[in-house]
Amino acid sequence: MDVIIEQCLNGLSLGSLYALIAVGYTVVYGIVQLINFAHGEIFMVGAFGSLTIWLLAGSPTDMSIGFALGVMLPLMVIGGIIFSVLTAMLTEKIAYKPLRSAPRLAPFISAIGISVFLQELVRLFYGQIPGFPDARNKIKYPTITGISGASVDIGGVQLKMTTVFILCALAICTLFLWFYINRTKVGRAMVATSQDQMTARLMGIDVDHVILSAFAVGAGLAAVAGIAQGLYIGDIGYKMGFMAGMKAFTAAVLGGIGNINGAVVGGLVLGVVEAFASQLGDTAWKDVWAFVILILVLVFRPQGIMGAKVVDRA
Amino acid sequence: MTIVSPELQSRYGKPARIVAIVGAAIMVFAPMVPWVYTGKILDDMRRAFDPSGLQILFELVALVLLGVLVTSMFGVKLGKYKNVVAWNSTALAASLGGLGYIAAIVLAVAVVGSQKGLGGLAAAEPGLWIALAGSVIASAGSVFLRKSPRATLAKVPSPAWVQILALVAVVAMVLFMAAFAVNLTEVESFLVCCVFIVAAVFVFRATGVMGWLSIATANNRKVLMLAAFAAAFIFPATQDGSDANMTVVAQVLIFAGTALGLNIVVGLAGLLDMGYIAFLGAGAFTAAVLSRSAYATFSIDLPFPVVVLISGTVAALFGLLIGSPTLRVSGDYLAIVTLAFGEIFRITMVNLDGTDGPNITHGSNGIPAIPNLDFFGFDFGKSHEIFGITITRQANYYLLLLVVIAIVIAVFANLNHSRIGRGWVAIREDEMAAEAMGVNTFTLKLLAFAGGAFLAGMVGAVKAYKDTSVTPDQFVFLESCFLLSAVVLGGMGTVMGVLIGATILKLLPEKLRFFDDYRMLIFGALLVVMMRFRPEGIVADERRQMEFHDEDEELADEVEEELVTHHDLLNPEGGK
Amino acid sequence: MVKTEYAKAVIAATHTEDRSVLLEASNVTMQFGGLTAVDDVSLSIRNGEIVGLIGPNGAGKTTFFNCLTGLYKPTAGQVRFRGELLPPQPRNVVKAGIARTFQNIRLFHNMTALENVMVGMYCRTKTNAIDAIFRLPRHRREERECTEKARRWLSFVGLEGAENHLSRNLPYGDQRRLEIARALATEPGLLLLDEPTAGMNPNETREAEDLIFKIRDLGLAVLVIEHDMRFIFSLCDRVACLVRGAVLVEGPPSHVQADERVIEAYIGAPQDDEDGE
Repeated sequence: MDVIIEQCLNGLSLGSLYALIAVGYTVVYGIVQLINFAHGEIFMVGAFGSLTIWLLAGSPTDMSIGFALGVMLPLMVIGGIIFSVLTAMLTEKIAYKPLRSAPRLAPFISAIGISVFLQELVRLFYGQIPGFPDARNKIKYPTITGISGASVDIGGVQLKMTTVFILCALAICTLFLWFYINRTKVGRAMVATSQDQMTARLMGIDVDHVILSAFAVGAGLAAVAGIAQGLYIGDIGYKMGFMAGMKAFTAAVLGGIGNINGAVVGGLVLGVVEAFASQLGDTAWKDVWAFVILILVLVFRPQGIMGAKVVDRA
Repeated sequence: MTIVSPELQSRYGKPARIVAIVGAAIMVFAPMVPWVYTGKILDDMRRAFDPSGLQILFELVALVLLGVLVTSMFGVKLGKYKNVVAWNSTALAASLGGLGYIAAIVLAVAVVGSQKGLGGLAAAEPGLWIALAGSVIASAGSVFLRKSPRATLAKVPSPAWVQILALVAVVAMVLFMAAFAVNLTEVESFLVCCVFIVAAVFVFRATGVMGWLSIATANNRKVLMLAAFAAAFIFPATQDGSDANMTVVAQVLIFAGTALGLNIVVGLAGLLDMGYIAFLGAGAFTAAVLSRSAYATFSIDLPFPVVVLISGTVAALFGLLIGSPTLRVSGDYLAIVTLAFGEIFRITMVNLDGTDGPNITHGSNGIPAIPNLDFFGFDFGKSHEIFGITITRQANYYLLLLVVIAIVIAVFANLNHSRIGRGWVAIREDEMAAEAMGVNTFTLKLLAFAGGAFLAGMVGAVKAYKDTSVTPDQFVFLESCFLLSAVVLGGMGTVMGVLIGATILKLLPEKLRFFDDYRMLIFGALLVVMMRFRPEGIVADERRQMEFHDEDEELADEVEEELVTHHDLLNPEGGK
Repeated sequence: MVKTEYAKAVIAATHTEDRSVLLEASNVTMQFGGLTAVDDVSLSIRNGEIVGLIGPNGAGKTTFFNCLTGLYKPTAGQVRFRGELLPPQPRNVVKAGIARTFQNIRLFHNMTALENVMVGMYCRTKTNAIDAIFRLPRHRREERECTEKARRWLSFVGLEGAENHLSRNLPYGDQRRLEIARALATEPGLLLLDEPTAGMNPNETREAEDLIFKIRDLGLAVLVIEHDMRFIFSLCDRVACLVRGAVLVEGPPSHVQADERVIEAYIGAPQDDEDGE
């Protein structure tokens, strides 16, 4: 029983990560019908951004719990978000915006290019900054007092603080997202644009701005996921975006791409399934199953399990 | 190049030509005097009246430029086409001048950059400055020359023997340049050589030589193919029994062959495949598993052609599997599906190690020690002497790969120029309309996947023997990205483009070692830049070009005009 | 006159005064969710007949068309062509002998006129990948014949000089003709034309009319959707008027023209927009 609860918690933490990243895929796809292949790298940039803040703060190791949770962590989160959002917006301006009217192949290949470029940029140059660790290998993520390694015992089940952090992060982000989409002008403009871009433009909506915001929102959540991954797994690396991105994309498709709630649910489902799968079977085939699920969903149920709107992809 | 206004051109045209000729004459003279004070860099430019290889290149440019400028004074008339071939078309002269200029600048920079121990620019001898001055004068003069309105060679009819001769000359030139470039050992010289080649291509295009050649090519396709393959077969002779360059060139061929297979899927059928390296892997593993290696798990002693066919077939079956979702999935979703299949392939190859699955591939260690091919007593592992030319081990495989590439190109071109090729274009343009016109879209898409995969599988079989070992980590997602880059960079749907793209992507990192670490970074950026400015690639397939520039009416008119003239030139009587 | 074997066969069929039923749609109903776009429509077309399909916007004409071309599978009812049930998938329907044009022209616009027509021949040619790869005689012969036939179809519709022109560069009227040539190249027994004169001037319309007569003279049956009443009444042997998914009147032009309900349907109650394809 304890094992089941533990695996559930593991799955939910993992799933929350996927969910946070998946939202970025889904929001962008909903509006411009582009699979932002570089989104995994935005997540990676978020993790490195937060690490940068910590390094700039003098790499504090023995932090008091108040300082760690009250100052350092919020700073790192904000820093990571800023890095990610700026990168995403820049990417959009440089690589996607000029290709709006091009055949679909063009922005997609451009996205692959950005993905490779960002990975290499971090791999080659992060360590060149004086005092920064070499990013060619995995980097140990800073420990935040009160979260890293800490856990509480609830009725015999060890609840890791990182899990609490991730779940809280997901909850806050989802709330924020709900508010943003439903209660702000930009959010409503986003909904309108995703329904019919041309009409939205005719109604006076600045579609370019909406698209840019979509990239920014997705990037912000991905950055949070990046930090969460750093705390949860303990290390980060320039390659971390690829696999996480693929799984998050699977989650987005699972939930019905274009559907934000679906992305969150899809992420959680995928995480829990993966946790139990690795508990039961061997880990060697774990990623294969993730890809098999991805293929099966894309082929047989492209509208996702939530069955939101059918996207004609012809 | 219209840097100078037409009024100025007509006013100063005549004196400017004299200036340009003087500049060109200086350029002709320059290589005769030393350029650099040491022989340590830029091959050997120390001696007077004994130009080095690179200097000879510059000399050639200068001579051509001088010749063009001098003849332009009298105006060469080719029959009734005197308006068409206005040799004083300054596009030619100016670009040639510009070429010399650019090359000289790059050279100078290279000298400075690499001369920490030799005192920087102090190492330069007068010859370098003379060359620079000459090219500046020539360029400055030539921009004042008036551009004839339709300065293009493309429409000049010429007898067949002239065309054939020209094609053979071009092929010979390419062979010479390739051998020369590959044999350059220092980075700086290689860079200068690359600049030279790129500039030469621009000049050819600007003057319509390219257009003329493309018509000559269309008329004499077989001659060109034969000449090109003959040149490629001769290539090992230029290597003097050295294996080093042949290794690189053989790698380029493997890469190019696979990329051509991918080009069927992406370029012709318009389906994005991001797991393509898996087909190469399927072929390579099949050949390895069947080989006489001590680690092979199904070691059967089969003749090599049979192995190649089996490898191709296994890959093709895999291609059918990957292609089957196209019935329901298309566009970016299909790309993701293929990516997922590619990853599944790699992980599976790692897992078939005896612990996580049946032992077929020995997991991440792969299958090493694959013995060399033995063809009727011809041992691919040894050097052979043929007509006094040493054919090394890598050269053996290189020649074998040439045969495979020839097959790949034949398949590609023949499929493209058939009803199947037309069906693919129709699917790319409007899948629904194609279906409504009776085109069996699903079968055609599957055929693209299976056909492309078969070719890649064949290449994979040769790769297994050439590399002597096959491991799963040779077939990672990044390699698929590279293949895609080669196709996109070179030009989707073209053979020539993909060959060039593959050569750039494989040869440059090998020759420019310092650049190796940054190559991924540069390729990433390159993909973005290409998509932005030239999505149709270096060598553009006209149809693809129009698809990417849908609203560009001018382009469509241009292409059409070309189609019509092309047709008229090919069938002087029948066309109307 | 086109002298392909196909054309000869078709002409022979016409000259034997074979007026048997070619297409028989019986009780075709098409529903989308709660909406009934086509409601219990029965229509038969005989060899060598020109039938017009009229009706106000949203009457379900194009939906009915799509049921005939295999794009939609009718929710109820059936379509028989030459006595056989219509096969699934548009490509099989084409092979069976029904070809169509589109309301909004859907040519392969980066292909030349000749290539467009040759795509139409896809389902009537047989070279497979092996033939093509090895350039077998069969492939060459077929390729040659194909080009010849395609040229003839182009001249049949009056596009002799345009074979090497890109279809996107052709004038609007020529694009419509080219679409017809492409459809004819599939060697159909029945040609479906979806608003062939939309956007044409009176002159072009007259030419289109001549072309359709010429097609009929080949022995083909033609089903035309049109809004231009003068055009349809002078062209068709029989006209059916569709209103709200159901056949209101069917009969000779004079009969339909005189029917008050038809006039009322057009001028009376305004309808919703056409559902499109």
